[in-house]
Amino acid sequence: MKVALKIWRSNSQTGERALREYEVDAPEWATLLDVLDLVKDRHDGSLAYRKSCRMTICGSCGMRMDGKTVLACRTRMYEIAEAGHIPVISAMGNMPVVKDLVTDMDSFWEKFKAVKPYVQPGYIEPPGGREHIISREQMSAIHKESLCINCGSCVSECNAMESDPAFLGPHALAKAMRFVGDPRDSKRIDRLEEVSGHNGIHQCTRCYYCNERCPKGVDPRDAIAKLSAEAIKESIDSDMGAKHAKWFVTSAKTTGWLRETELVPKTQGVLASIKQAKFALELARHGKVPPPFPPHVAKNVKEARRLHGIVARQGRNGFAGIVQGEQAMAKLEHGHTGHSDRDPYGPGSFPRPYLPGEKREGAKA
Amino acid sequence: MKQVAYYKGCLASLSAKELDTSTRALAPKVGLELIELESVTCCGAGDIHEAEPDYYLHLNARILAYAAATGADTLMTVCNVCTLNLRQANWQLMNDTELRARVNENLAQVGVQPYERDIEVKHFLWEVAAGEGYEKLKVAAHRGLKGLKIAPFYGCQILRPSKLMGFEDPDTPSSLERIIEACGGEALDYPAKLKCCGFPIIQAREETALGELVQPIEQAYEMGADAMVTPCPLCHLSLDAWQSKLKKTTGKDFKMPILHLSQLIGVAAGISEADLQFKRHVVSLDKVMAKLDA
Repeated sequence: MKVALKIWRSNSQTGERALREYEVDAPEWATLLDVLDLVKDRHDGSLAYRKSCRMTICGSCGMRMDGKTVLACRTRMYEIAEAGHIPVISAMGNMPVVKDLVTDMDSFWEKFKAVKPYVQPGYIEPPGGREHIISREQMSAIHKESLCINCGSCVSECNAMESDPAFLGPHALAKAMRFVGDPRDSKRIDRLEEVSGHNGIHQCTRCYYCNERCPKGVDPRDAIAKLSAEAIKESIDSDMGAKHAKWFVTSAKTTGWLRETELVPKTQGVLASIKQAKFALELARHGKVPPPFPPHVAKNVKEARRLHGIVARQGRNGFAGIVQGEQAMAKLEHGHTGHSDRDPYGPGSFPRPYLPGEKREGAKA
Repeated sequence: MKQVAYYKGCLASLSAKELDTSTRALAPKVGLELIELESVTCCGAGDIHEAEPDYYLHLNARILAYAAATGADTLMTVCNVCTLNLRQANWQLMNDTELRARVNENLAQVGVQPYERDIEVKHFLWEVAAGEGYEKLKVAAHRGLKGLKIAPFYGCQILRPSKLMGFEDPDTPSSLERIIEACGGEALDYPAKLKCCGFPIIQAREETALGELVQPIEQAYEMGADAMVTPCPLCHLSLDAWQSKLKKTTGKDFKMPILHLSQLIGVAAGISEADLQFKRHVVSLDKVMAKLDA
């Protein structure tokens, strides 16, 4: 098949930048990475991109196709070429471009190192040189975080990092969770304190691009929520983000609905919110600052209040509370939903394995 | 008329009452009969999920139980964040019988009926962007928007994570554009329409949030938009109320009017000012309405 691509070529040393179009003959099973190899081999040997394993293990070939970060080795070109679409290929976001599709990942690795991405053991060695056994249940709590291949797809699309480059970001925080949840690690509290700092979990704006883009199902946003729940469980809650989150709990169990007007002083403190007085007055003029009295109370709110007491006694808070939901949904993702007719290769599933020489339905001979 | 259990959430109950009044006025015109839910609480807005996740699940199960008890098949939301929180809890409960049994037992202890019959959580946008709702909308929007240039702004949590939302492709959605066009407006296309408005951290990290907020507003402004429209009251609040704070960083006074989705359709459907309640907006809608009345 004929595959056409437009590639943003650039060179940070000369400052040149240009969108160039290429067309190659490629087999129908070709991935974006295969097509780039053909471009480099047949048309322009100076094209720069990273690659290694070609099978979604090494995490080298992150790049953008039509603005969306993908792994080139995981992206089939058949349907795109058949539709006559010419995709635009560019380097990942939130990182400086060195040349063409190669980005400078220094800040990515700095943040990775900042969360100390290794076990700091604190367990007692069993006698007689026996293994230290961790249950499957304990490890499955951090299964998703352990799948990360450091490809940078999540960071490339992180909306909060675009606004504040100092944000630790989804990859580093997912890695932090991988060790916070590891029963062999002794630095859980230190780690929770570190990620609760200024550039940590409370910078996340919950845009969910990281979950959407991750090619391995790590769901970094959910890892950030786990860190937050675990930190709050351990009373590491002095950050405004944690106070903000806790105020929703207080609201739910007292009036049922968010007590909006009190949210600002409860989050920022009384002094800081007085500085916002002029802004608040302007909002109040348009009814955006509802008076806290009389409070807006949900009917039967007693039920919500009593539920809080019952739930608190069942010990599923902290990250365990999110893991239980994740495991319920894993059944959905893996098709064990009782719907046996679900197509495991249907939309939303992993791309169907596609063997050399195999013809896809509707493909031209 | 399709009966739906109507979950308005915190904002439409208080600071964004105009979202509630315009939705109520519009509902019968697009074939929806809203069943009021009296005993429900906040969904936790993602905050309870990351403070006390098990309590988040129970609060949402309680909402789902009350909604299912109305007999409706759909729980209709008018907020992206409510949509994600409720859909997430619903998927968890529907796919884990043990978890659901424990939650139901806890609900029974406080006197709430168990969540047994499944109910589907859908945003108002999805009800009117396709199928019968869309056909009715096309008829209802007879007054038209006279070619007003409208910048659609989706908001994150109606698109992502797509495995929980699933209404449309999160990277090439078209529901808002379809609606704008059905209402006789011109839908503008601009890069930041799918991005984040920054609202969840606007109090805890204002600078970071404003750095996100400026993108859609500035781009819509440069495209010559008459107004922006969003299906999310949290996006609405940051786009409308926090817009003035962008003056300091950009030196520009955008004065970009922001419409709730129900207001945009409501204007086209000729709903009264008493239900649209534009006086509750920080950025004035006068210019937009003057163009329509001209």
